[in-house]
Amino acid sequence: MADLTAFSYHPGRSFLHLLDVRFKIIFLILISLTGMQADPPALCLLTFLFLCLIKSSRLSLISILKELRYFLVLLFFVLIARALSTPGTPVFEFKLLSISRQGLYDGILICWRLALVVLLGLIFVSTTRPSEIRTAVAWFLKPFPFIPGKKVATMIGLIMRFVPVILAQAKETSDAQRARGIENRKNPIYRLVKLAVPLIFKTFQNANNLAVAMEARCYSENRTDPDLSSKKNDWIAFFFVICLCILVVEI
Amino acid sequence: MNIIEIRGLSHRFSDGTLGLDAIDIEIKEGEFIVIAGRNGSGKTTLLRHLNGLLRPQTGSVKLAGISVSEDFVRARQMVGMVFQDADSQIIGETVYDDVAFGPENLRLERSEVQQRVSMALEAGGLIDLADHRPHLLSGGEKRRLAIAGILAMKPRVIVFDEPFSNLDYPGVKQVLEQILTLHQAGHTILITTHDLEKVLAHADRLVIMQKGKIVRDGLPNKIVTETEAFGVRQPCTSRLGLEIGSWLI
Amino acid sequence: MNQAEQLRMMVYASLLAALTAAGAYIAIPIGPIPIVLQNLFIFLTGLLLGSKWGVASVAVYLLAGASGLPVFAGGTGGLGRLLGPTGGYLLGYLPAVYLIGFISEKMNHRRFYDALAVVCGTIIIYACGIAWLKTITGMTLTKTLAVGMYPFLPGDVLKIVAAVIIAKSLRPVIGQR
Ligand SMILES: Nc1ncnc2c1ncn2[C@@H]1O[C@H](COP(=O)(O)OP(=O)(O)OP(=O)(O)O)[C@@H](O)[C@H]1O
Ligand SMILES: [Mg+2]
Repeated sequence: MADLTAFSYHPGRSFLHLLDVRFKIIFLILISLTGMQADPPALCLLTFLFLCLIKSSRLSLISILKELRYFLVLLFFVLIARALSTPGTPVFEFKLLSISRQGLYDGILICWRLALVVLLGLIFVSTTRPSEIRTAVAWFLKPFPFIPGKKVATMIGLIMRFVPVILAQAKETSDAQRARGIENRKNPIYRLVKLAVPLIFKTFQNANNLAVAMEARCYSENRTDPDLSSKKNDWIAFFFVICLCILVVEI
Repeated sequence: MNIIEIRGLSHRFSDGTLGLDAIDIEIKEGEFIVIAGRNGSGKTTLLRHLNGLLRPQTGSVKLAGISVSEDFVRARQMVGMVFQDADSQIIGETVYDDVAFGPENLRLERSEVQQRVSMALEAGGLIDLADHRPHLLSGGEKRRLAIAGILAMKPRVIVFDEPFSNLDYPGVKQVLEQILTLHQAGHTILITTHDLEKVLAHADRLVIMQKGKIVRDGLPNKIVTETEAFGVRQPCTSRLGLEIGSWLI
Repeated sequence: MNQAEQLRMMVYASLLAALTAAGAYIAIPIGPIPIVLQNLFIFLTGLLLGSKWGVASVAVYLLAGASGLPVFAGGTGGLGRLLGPTGGYLLGYLPAVYLIGFISEKMNHRRFYDALAVVCGTIIIYACGIAWLKTITGMTLTKTLAVGMYPFLPGDVLKIVAAVIIAKSLRPVIGQR
């Protein structure tokens, strides 16, 4: 069973680590949106910039690529599909298959953009504590009526808390069943049900206990506000990001 | 004044089980009480009435003179509860977040929250683990985290439901030491267990429950010889006629 | 609904979102393609929580993923994952879970209608998923279906049947404290 590479947060005190998380999220969205429309020169610029950021935050490029491996496989598939299915001047032909110049160009462009957006997301999580992300989400949801931001933040916290417990529980359940020879049962529905029912049952019991424990500790939606403060650096970075976005759209 | 005063408390679950049957008990501030009884005797049910997780159906529960049902937040802040299952009471995704959960719910100032969390982590020896994920902690550390989580709310009474279940020998010693420190600092302590050996040496008072009733209540030395009739094992030393020794020596 | 009840539903919604996240990593090795449990838990979110809390659960799941927390299959990525080739399926979860919960509630959790609800949900998920996959890869519809839907259908049939059985056996347990 694959392990969850949860918390790719790497503690540190680099420039990115110290930025206010709200600004980081705004930057993330702005750069992602403009990046999706960027052309090759702008993409080169962004790539260079991201590599600098990775270096300055002391992240390891290797482990980032490792984290991205599934996504890169998906992108490779997109590239192939694009290249094969777009009509245009062929650069390569083999029986029925033909790769067109336009297709290849389109494919590379789309994959490059997506790869950069995902890479940026990864840089963001690597330099931001999950609890900060949670508080920022609550902060952004505050102006919306009918959306209880703090409740959403609590729920996100609970999800992050439950996932590893569920994975451990799933492993235990499936090991226990394997020890009793469940692999001899060929009916897949039987096996799905026999894995999922005890797993969900056990986790719901835990959830019941958790709800009581939260009640015992005075759970209320109206909690102390998160501790967020912006500094001069954040505004300077903001200015640069705006310039960057204009630049990316223009070239 | 008694810090806890329970009069004629009964509780029947929705499926008809009688969980508590006419409980009367008074507890003075600073007492160290052990509540023993076999599985299903109603220990957990009794404790859950102290902070309003269960509401009294008949009878009353008063904390320092004020009824629990009048103000649940006050009751929950005053009576901190460490649950039987240490895993399922962890709420935060890091040790720090978990301890901060209670004070944040009380809407304390951010600086006050920080100060209380460091105080509680310090008391549990968890400072170095502040950024760790709780589910990776050892059993003993999880239990101390649970204690830290309620200490941050500055309770006057601390209730432990089976604090030694699933702990190894060093784990039991660490938790026991912490409980004693808290008692010395002036907290009123209530512990439920069916294993008297580990705590009885330190208790001021022993209460035995059976089928939702309190059947014995008094000095540990006086009633420890009667425990076996109620399905609680008598500590070996006491069986041999010796004084019950502490686990810490 | 009183406050304790609200709190419990909130914890349940988080729990199912967590199961969905974990489901991407839990696979049962049967046949050539291992069966991944992720959309089984999406079906169950709708069936067990109903439309309102089901949508809340999935929305928070997507929000957590979009803001970069590692809850999507294959690690982190944030917003880019929703824009990526499989983003359509993820966004499709939201209307799907609403519809599943809605039909199942309206029909009083009768077994046949539960199955119908889940089938409708599956159709929605594929509609969103395939539409986005087609846009991004530029393939023809037949080709997109051939890579983005047909290989998974046998597994989905199994999961639909399993979801209905599981919901039936868990509902009574979950309702009570
Ligand atoms: N939610 C509930 N619904 C119905 N019956 C319950 C419920 N909770 C507890 N009971 C029953 O009430 C009785 C007292 O339970 P309680 O949990 O207080 O016992 P306990 O002394 O804490 O036992 P243990 O030593 O196993 O923790 C038991 O018979 C139990 O089955
Ligand atoms: Mg108990």
